[in-house]
Amino acid sequence: MPKKLKESLTKAGCAVIAFLVFGLLWGALTNFTDVGMFMPGPIETLEFFFDHFVEKIGPGTIPYHALMSLKRIIPAYIGASAVGVVLGLLMAMYWPVDAIVRPIFSIVRPIPPVAWIPLAILWFGINDESKYFLIALATLVSVLQNAYDGAKAADQQLVGVAKMLGANDKNVFLTVVLPGAVPYIFAGLQLGLNAAWGQVVGSEMIRSVDGLGWIIIRGTDNNNVLQELAGIVMIGILGYILAAAMRFAENKLVRWNKRGT
Amino acid sequence: MTDKNRKKKYMLLSALSLLVFLLIWELVTDVLHIFSNLTLASPIQVVETFFYKLNHTAPDGGTIQAHMWASLKVALSGYALSLIVGIPLGIFMAWYRPVDFLARPIFDFVKAIPGLAWAPLMIVLMGIGFTSKAVTIFISGMVPCVLNAYSGIKQTKDVHLWVARTFGATRMQMLFKVAIPTALPMIMTGARVALGACWMSIVAAELIASSEGLGYMIQQCRGIFRPDVIIVGMLCIGALGSLITWLIGQVEKKIVKGRNHDA
Repeated sequence: MPKKLKESLTKAGCAVIAFLVFGLLWGALTNFTDVGMFMPGPIETLEFFFDHFVEKIGPGTIPYHALMSLKRIIPAYIGASAVGVVLGLLMAMYWPVDAIVRPIFSIVRPIPPVAWIPLAILWFGINDESKYFLIALATLVSVLQNAYDGAKAADQQLVGVAKMLGANDKNVFLTVVLPGAVPYIFAGLQLGLNAAWGQVVGSEMIRSVDGLGWIIIRGTDNNNVLQELAGIVMIGILGYILAAAMRFAENKLVRWNKRGT
Repeated sequence: MTDKNRKKKYMLLSALSLLVFLLIWELVTDVLHIFSNLTLASPIQVVETFFYKLNHTAPDGGTIQAHMWASLKVALSGYALSLIVGIPLGIFMAWYRPVDFLARPIFDFVKAIPGLAWAPLMIVLMGIGFTSKAVTIFISGMVPCVLNAYSGIKQTKDVHLWVARTFGATRMQMLFKVAIPTALPMIMTGARVALGACWMSIVAAELIASSEGLGYMIQQCRGIFRPDVIIVGMLCIGALGSLITWLIGQVEKKIVKGRNHDA
């Protein structure tokens, strides 16, 4: 069979084995040691997880909560990424824009988006508006910085060549700077996605009425470790899917430049 | 315009922008009262509160220094642990193929889970306190460490390894004399990223369940409508984070001297 297919199957096979081994270790730990008093075994967890695809936790089933979390992240992420990329590129191309935006950005950047949560709740309440604000913030910082770095990293020799061949500013941008910046931009988009997903979960854990983060924190209320684990698993799965989707998009759009994952 | 001229204009424009921003902020709060003092504090208030909190424990139960130290303690412990465990793990995973195949899928899964999601689990297992927070931070910091150490080792050029083998080096020697030095820049970058992740994690963990620390301070003051303390707290968090990052950057420069890479 073709080499690539063989590689993918081997990887998938190893993944399955790895999870089986992990599950066995986990099961052994809970069955044969004291850890079993605090933590449920893998089978119980899986049972709980699949049960709650139909049974509700609070206002809805697990897919319902997943949808709620996704509903928050997707508009905020797309909006903030668009702004971040445009602004980052503008800042790199036109120094006055950089001069104006940079001081405020430098102050805001070191502050972790989670630190904004209390302020956001004070301003917007516990509804979705505060979450959109926080997710947008988390995404914006990573995306902007990377877009800026990407545009700045344009090979000055190539720019010189283009100008010598008679390109005006717009052409230089479209043919030299932008393609060179694309890998950086995608790196920024991935980072932004991670940050955004973390922010969704974080803000749901702190003040929310539904969502995957909410599932976890409510599990703490009743010491329901099963619920927490189910939440964690779902968050991991969705996070993985989102990241994989991003990588897929990147491979399709940036075929000439394959970064390491 | 010349470069020097442009630099001056740049500085001027930046300073102006910052000034305008502060002015608008001040206007909107103290002068025109568009935002009440319960939702947004004015810059003057923020400065006042900062100096006040250096000596007083009201209204949340601790001075700024006390909170800063509490947060730092936990963050640095978790961070140190993630360095000690994460870097060797990453190196191990990259060097030994079977480990890679087995550990990688699990690691990819854990990677997708935001570090904070582990916090409630840790709290249930270990109670509210130092350990649960430190472990959550450890998990958050471990991911970048492992990832970067892994990438760093993977980047080792085959040619260098072949040269080593020609000179009769054992696998172990190849690891320590060729692979790890090659990986060092990436490992340092990973250390820096991990620090950022750890710092974010401690703030988040404190927002959820803590009785001290900067995150606790800002969460408390939200409940009693003191945005001035919140903003002071946020700025402190940012400043401390920047400081530690800068320190790591300095360490990085010492260790990775002579290597051409951008900061």
